Amino acid sequence: SLCSFFFLSSWQPQMVPFRGSHWQTSLLAFRASLPMRAQPKKKKKVDLKREQAQKDRMKKKIKKLEKAASEMIPIEDFITPLKYSDSNRVRSLPPLSFEETERRVLLMKKWGLFKQKQDEAEKKAIQSLVEAQQEALKELRLESEELYQAAIRRDEGLFPFERDGPNYTPPLPEYDPPEGKCVDITKVYTQ
Amino acid sequence: SAAGPRPWRLFGAMCLLRLPRITQPLEKEEEEMAALMAQIELEKSQYSDHEIRKLQEEDQLRRRKESMYDDDEAPGKTVIMAQDLEDKWEQKFLQFKAASRITDADKNNNRTSLNRKLDSNLMLLVKQKIGNQELWLLPQVEWQPGETLRNTAERAMATFLGDHIQAKTLGNAPYGIYKYKFPRAIRTENNVGAKVFFFKAFLQSSDLSLAELKEDYLWVTKDELGDYLKSEYLKKVNKFLLD
Repeated sequence: SLCSFFFLSSWQPQMVPFRGSHWQTSLLAFRASLPMRAQPKKKKKVDLKREQAQKDRMKKKIKKLEKAASEMIPIEDFITPLKYSDSNRVRSLPPLSFEETERRVLLMKKWGLFKQKQDEAEKKAIQSLVEAQQEALKELRLESEELYQAAIRRDEGLFPFERDGPNYTPPLPEYDPPEGKCVDITKVYTQ
Repeated sequence: SAAGPRPWRLFGAMCLLRLPRITQPLEKEEEEMAALMAQIELEKSQYSDHEIRKLQEEDQLRRRKESMYDDDEAPGKTVIMAQDLEDKWEQKFLQFKAASRITDADKNNNRTSLNRKLDSNLMLLVKQKIGNQELWLLPQVEWQPGETLRNTAERAMATFLGDHIQAKTLGNAPYGIYKYKFPRAIRTENNVGAKVFFFKAFLQSSDLSLAELKEDYLWVTKDELGDYLKSEYLKKVNKFLLD
């Protein structure tokens, strides 16, 4: 319409460009100045509410699932696999004779006594160790308080203490162990 | 302490232990009990897959011998029986030769070797000059002001075995004490006697090739200590040694 105005006013003495309506704030930006905001405003409000409701429903569902989903992790040691309850698995051995049961009972009694003696000896040895250390610390205190305090301080570097336990035979020099791969198939459960 | 200098000289000594490499032999009761436990475990158990397979194959063999019918399987197909597997495993086991529990050093009774008596603790003894006597002792040096007694003991170890020794000292506190008075000839008011504080350490590496052992040394077990140490000293040392 601007062009038509120019055309129509071409025969006027002065060509003055002027706006078509009071909404047209600038001459060049035509489409943006008109009030075109009615539709998007409605969408925002309604959508916001709908989206909020949807989110809440999802959260409720998730909470319900979380509450119900704490299954116990099965302890595999306590569950006997079904294949071991077959009757053909039962071992067939002759019943124990009277002498054998007697021998076993007497051996258990002997074992009890052996272990008791072993335990007493261990306790005595530990007692002797503690006494020796107490005596040493007492004498040290008589000598110098400073050395005594240094001695009773905790040794931070002592633990953790690791050591490879004794085996049945000493290590064989230049032994080449056979190759192999150990694959761990334990089942790992997550809650 | 506010009192004047004490008349006792202080020494730090290190009891260096080489821990056992192999298990001790079982006592008679322990052996009998182990056998009984194995027997009870066998009685309470059920057949394993391998045993079931073996029983089935033995059954098949027996039936085949009794009735002379042909094999169900095509001839020429080799079947590995469970018994064959067991024989194969037995053969393989017999081929392996483990190292001997009794070493050469045991046979020669070479007490300077660390390879002796692999099932017990070995302790280091060195020959030191005390006064005008040469005595077998746990390595000791005199305490110097400015160091703790643990440092003295570690210094004693380093003096006799060199700086590259790898040993773990068990704590800051002494394990035992040996107190003795000097002979009357050298005893004075300010120099009555000496107190030797013992510390314990575990030898970490068995490689002592870098050690510069100058004096005479021995690695002995607790029972053999009596051959070398004086009785009073031995009594105090035995108090903090476990078998």
